[in-house]
Amino acid sequence: MCGTCGCSDPENMVVMTDLAKGEEALLRQGALAPGVLDGHAHDHHGHHHHDHDHHHHHDHDHDHDHDVPHVHGPNGEVITLEQAVLAKNDRIAQRNRGWFEGRGVLALNLVSSPGAGKTTLLERTIRALDGRVEIAVIEGDQMTTNDAERIRDAGARAIQINTGAGCHLEADMIASAIESLDPKPGSLLLIENVGNLVCPAMFDLGERMKVAVISTPEGEDKPLKYPHMFRAAEAVIVNKMDLAEHIDFDLDLLTRNIRVINPDARILLLSAKSGQGMAEWLAFLKDQQAA
Amino acid sequence: MHEMGLTRSLVAIVAEHAAGRSVRRVRLAIGPLACVERRALSFCFDIIAEGTVLAGASLEFLEADGDTFVIKDYELEEAA
Repeated sequence: MCGTCGCSDPENMVVMTDLAKGEEALLRQGALAPGVLDGHAHDHHGHHHHDHDHHHHHDHDHDHDHDVPHVHGPNGEVITLEQAVLAKNDRIAQRNRGWFEGRGVLALNLVSSPGAGKTTLLERTIRALDGRVEIAVIEGDQMTTNDAERIRDAGARAIQINTGAGCHLEADMIASAIESLDPKPGSLLLIENVGNLVCPAMFDLGERMKVAVISTPEGEDKPLKYPHMFRAAEAVIVNKMDLAEHIDFDLDLLTRNIRVINPDARILLLSAKSGQGMAEWLAFLKDQQAA
Repeated sequence: MHEMGLTRSLVAIVAEHAAGRSVRRVRLAIGPLACVERRALSFCFDIIAEGTVLAGASLEFLEADGDTFVIKDYELEEAA
């Protein structure tokens, strides 16, 4: 059991809720996939004792895979692996990406700290497009289906993924969600990641791009404090611009800080509450759909 | 704390590859942009490895470029 965050708690579960269908599915449970724990999973690779009549002699008393490059060091055998730890996630993400491209679905991965206004932006976007563009939403949060309910009330289909102790969405969760959501060809799939500016940067979900949302009260130095995320995002939305004048917000400084980390990022200024700048965001979505 | 999830992946990858044989050491190559905290990784590793063929194994780090995060190799316990 992890003393810091409880991630390895055997009770740790990832749950997916489809509000339209009223279905709940368990995507993951426990710390490790079945079979990894010591014991019986790989017994067939160990020492074999055959009862057959024929006898043959092996050079090694264990049958390891001879296709794998390995050397016999002074201690045990060293086996070269050269495998990216995130290879599995990246493979599933590429499959998702192919699925989206094949269907002409524009998938965007919205990332921000909690409270930057991702859900409010989604609600406003759904209402502004008012059925002219089919929108489906995948909501990631540790707990509650609050956000998916807000999206449904705004008029779009939504799936809630509760990551339990997890701090980000992973590609296999998206694969499960799109199976249930079944986004229509030409539609928009907006993925609202878990509010967190650290881990979601590392996990490709198969999206066209990550869109980072930062709100004016968060401070102009956020991009410098969380450079991985702002480097990974192709577009940055500066939300809550309606508050800017009340809080001594320095837009030039924020813009400079974003540019230091990511010179090419598209920067969009808006207020999901007042609606200012929404036209530009909607035009951006349209351009991306056409691209 | 995404290190817990990363450690879970790396233990699963090595355990599957080792196919039931005990592992005494795993070497990881980590780049400066990998967004991985080594101490957190080591902390998680001891916990996640428990009860697997990696139990008690040491975790070593090698310098690498960019956002590299790769399992370089692993060493098996000497066959008795």
